[in-house]
Amino acid sequence: MFNFAFSSISEAILMESQNGQNHGIYVWSVFFIVFGALILTFCIYKNKIRNLSKKIK
Amino acid sequence: MIKKFIHQFASPKTYLKQVDKAYSFIFFTSLSIYLIAIFWGLLLTPEDFVQGHSYRIIYLHVPASFISQSLYLGMAFASAIFLIWKVKLSAYLVRSIAPIGAMTTFIALVSGSIWGIPTWGTWWAWDARIISTLILFIMYLGLISLHDSFTNNEKADKFLAILVLVGSVNIPIIKMSVEWWSTLHQSASITITQKPAIDPSMLYPLFASAIGFTGLVICLVILSSKLHILDRERNKSWVKDYV
Amino acid sequence: MNILYFEFLKLRKKSRGWLGPILVFILIMTAFPLTVEFLNEDLEQAFFSILWIAVLLVMMLATEDIFLEDFNDGSLEQLVIHTESLSFVIGVKILIYWALIGIPVSVIGSIYCLGITSSYEMALLIFPVLLISSYIFLNLFCFGNSLTLTKGSVLGTLITMPLLLPLLVVLGKVVIAINLGLNYFDFLILLLGVLSIIIVTIPLIISFVIRAHLE
Repeated sequence: MFNFAFSSISEAILMESQNGQNHGIYVWSVFFIVFGALILTFCIYKNKIRNLSKKIK
Repeated sequence: MIKKFIHQFASPKTYLKQVDKAYSFIFFTSLSIYLIAIFWGLLLTPEDFVQGHSYRIIYLHVPASFISQSLYLGMAFASAIFLIWKVKLSAYLVRSIAPIGAMTTFIALVSGSIWGIPTWGTWWAWDARIISTLILFIMYLGLISLHDSFTNNEKADKFLAILVLVGSVNIPIIKMSVEWWSTLHQSASITITQKPAIDPSMLYPLFASAIGFTGLVICLVILSSKLHILDRERNKSWVKDYV
Repeated sequence: MNILYFEFLKLRKKSRGWLGPILVFILIMTAFPLTVEFLNEDLEQAFFSILWIAVLLVMMLATEDIFLEDFNDGSLEQLVIHTESLSFVIGVKILIYWALIGIPVSVIGSIYCLGITSSYEMALLIFPVLLISSYIFLNLFCFGNSLTLTKGSVLGTLITMPLLLPLLVVLGKVVIAINLGLNYFDFLILLLGVLSIIIVTIPLIISFVIRAHLE
């Protein structure tokens, strides 16, 4: 169905490339940082709006 | 006539009502586009010949840096509208975009420096584009602290608008820094005039990721502006009915 | 002309306003070789970085209360009401500060450059660059100072510091250009162009900010 670039989950986590290094740690750490920052920002703003609305009421 | 047009859409109340209607649609479409693009980019695209698998950070780094510069341009545009036509909503937007801009610039800097480790061997290099992006990040923080240091809100808005416009000289420097100075950072692979230097199979998830990330950032700006407008207008009567 | 003379007298009287920054500059430039090993090869390379940073800091010190005194005793409000172009008065004020602080700092900086590199040509080429860059720094720090005029804090000055970092990059390139004998005059023309834009626009912006403060 999809032509994955990696043949197994452990290979997708490690992402070993042609020069032998494991690039997985870099890619996945950036992935978690970006998504973590986005989710955190959304939660912070939603919380602040909720608290402010309660204070105004 | 232009004045009437702008003042028609410039009331915070109508802005919030319209934005509330559009929010769920924008949020869910952009989230799905972004997740599909990231899944496609991280797991389905082939390996790069030179950089190996670490090039996949491009799908996370490039939209963030593009958005951080575009947000600053948006702030400059809104500041100009505020200073010329005195539309208060523009001032609210400028103040609410600043934290989001700081966050996306932070993401761009961190993802770029982590990408530097496998590619250049170092996680930090003092080259022109990196320094200019760091300057942009410091400027965002400076803008927020300047606005919050004033107790009088109208003066704070005016000074914030002036500082945004004076600081917008940094944006051309960031964009052109890769051409003007010989730098470590890669030059633009996608320009308007030439064929892209990047393979199409890697290009489409990049576009999709950029569109998705833009939509998510727009949602964040909507939330931030809602918070700021409710805070600034809390003594008005329509706010009590709204919440 | 009257304004020029009047502002000159005002600044000359306040000796800590112009002598202080010059002395700080001399102190920094003299103390710098003490931190490096004597007869070190890197002394020359590090010297220019210290020179630009010292000029930057000294200009920041010099503009600490450029408008505050006038604001406190009310003469700023008088200027806003009476004169037709506040920006001209501000431009003159900045010019006087540059003449009394920027020019001596440039001369002293060139002398130190002569002392470290022992090349007359280098010192002579650095002198106009120092003059122009100190004027640009002064203008931008005055803008920053005017933003937080009523608070009297250094927040505004600190905020405008990021705007000057591209200029520092250009100044670094100028030194390399002089060393390699490349296109020094192109850089000089670039700096002059930036200076001409800044001389005209910054006093206008500052006058707008001061009017906004005094409303």
